[in-house]
Amino acid sequence: MSIMSYNGAAIVAMAGKDCVAIASDRRFGVQAQTVSMDFQKIFPMGERLMVGLAGLATDVQTVSERLRFKMNMYKLREERDIEPVTFMHMISNLLYEKRFGPYFCEPVIAGIDKHGKPFISSTDLIGCPMTPGNFVVAGTCSEQLYGMCEALYVPDLGPEDLFETISQSLLNAQDRDALAGWGAVVHVITKDQVITRTLKSRMD
Amino acid sequence: PFLWYTGKSATMALAAAAPPAGMSDYGAVQHRFSPYSFNGGTIVAVAGDDFAVVAGDTRLSEGYEILTRDSSKCYKMSDRTMIASTGFHGDVTTLTRLLGSRMELYKHRHNKVMSSPALAQMLSNTLYYRRFFPYYAHCVVGGLDNEGKGCVFSYDPVGSYEREFYRAAGSGASLLQPLLDNQLGFKNMQGVTKDPLTVDKATKLIRDVMVGASERDIYTGDALEMNIITKDGIRKEIIPLRRD
Repeated sequence: MSIMSYNGAAIVAMAGKDCVAIASDRRFGVQAQTVSMDFQKIFPMGERLMVGLAGLATDVQTVSERLRFKMNMYKLREERDIEPVTFMHMISNLLYEKRFGPYFCEPVIAGIDKHGKPFISSTDLIGCPMTPGNFVVAGTCSEQLYGMCEALYVPDLGPEDLFETISQSLLNAQDRDALAGWGAVVHVITKDQVITRTLKSRMD
Repeated sequence: PFLWYTGKSATMALAAAAPPAGMSDYGAVQHRFSPYSFNGGTIVAVAGDDFAVVAGDTRLSEGYEILTRDSSKCYKMSDRTMIASTGFHGDVTTLTRLLGSRMELYKHRHNKVMSSPALAQMLSNTLYYRRFFPYYAHCVVGGLDNEGKGCVFSYDPVGSYEREFYRAAGSGASLLQPLLDNQLGFKNMQGVTKDPLTVDKATKLIRDVMVGASERDIYTGDALEMNIITKDGIRKEIIPLRRD
């Protein structure tokens, strides 16, 4: 029994032309038993920044709440929104503080910086950051997600095409994982707005 | 752990002689011989209306080392059937050698070449024969059935098998299989016309998925060998992949 596959998750983020998308499944389960089909795994951290958390559900909730606190303090002190790359360093530091007793969660960050440039990144459970530029994946079906993204991704997609690409990547990958699924949520972030869509998928 | 002479008292020396905390021995463990090894690699087979494609990469690895860059994982059983097998190379070669012999015997006894469904059943029986010391081999059979239609059979290491239209197996299987579901099974796609599969589409798709797998799976790469099985015989295509 692995701690990272106790609850199950599928999170993916992709970068397009002046837009980013981040998507997750909605299942909350305890090993084989599904408990809820509307569990939130992606949390907004500003108007153009979102973070998705995969891994142990209790740590997903704890880390998101700790981040919400740090974000609020940042906003009060700095009187401005946080930049995505700064936020990535903030998460990295938060996780590495627990280096020898870590939070069992892997974050995925997606946002647009103040110049309108798309930013995506992920870290491992102890905070090592990775900024690949095309797509990042996390969760129990990360291999399936890598396969789908590698095949479907092309650079510089517009918001609608990016939505289609990220949705197909997530849906088909989570259908090959018993612990992830039961619907999906997709957020597409552009300079002006965030469009959130909920997808119906195989409910098993 | 050695007993370093530090010049301290005898009691300290005794304490240092005990196994370190948390270890019940001195770190001396008898290493059991493992009869298996993992040689990596990814295979895929796709069935169309009148053809089948059996493909695999050609890398053989052990741990982080590459043993060879051109070891085929696809074994021809007859003009209409091929087996692709990956896992422990020793068991793969033995298994295919055994099946090849059995096919020869069948041909001489019954004066006809063994059909794909018959071979599929025989492979299942052969694998289950070793139920309690299995062949560490994930197999996929591809070929033409008795009516000339393409068929794919996939196996677990102890012989459980099923006829399908497409299947990926091996170290990169989890990367390939979802895309095959999407493009060949039309899963999660609404309102698309389900065109019948052509050889061209199948080979393009296999090439794309294997290129993707070589990017992310360390055991997959070097070259892709595709075998297209039609009523006219078996055509082989070799495409280079990433060598890193």
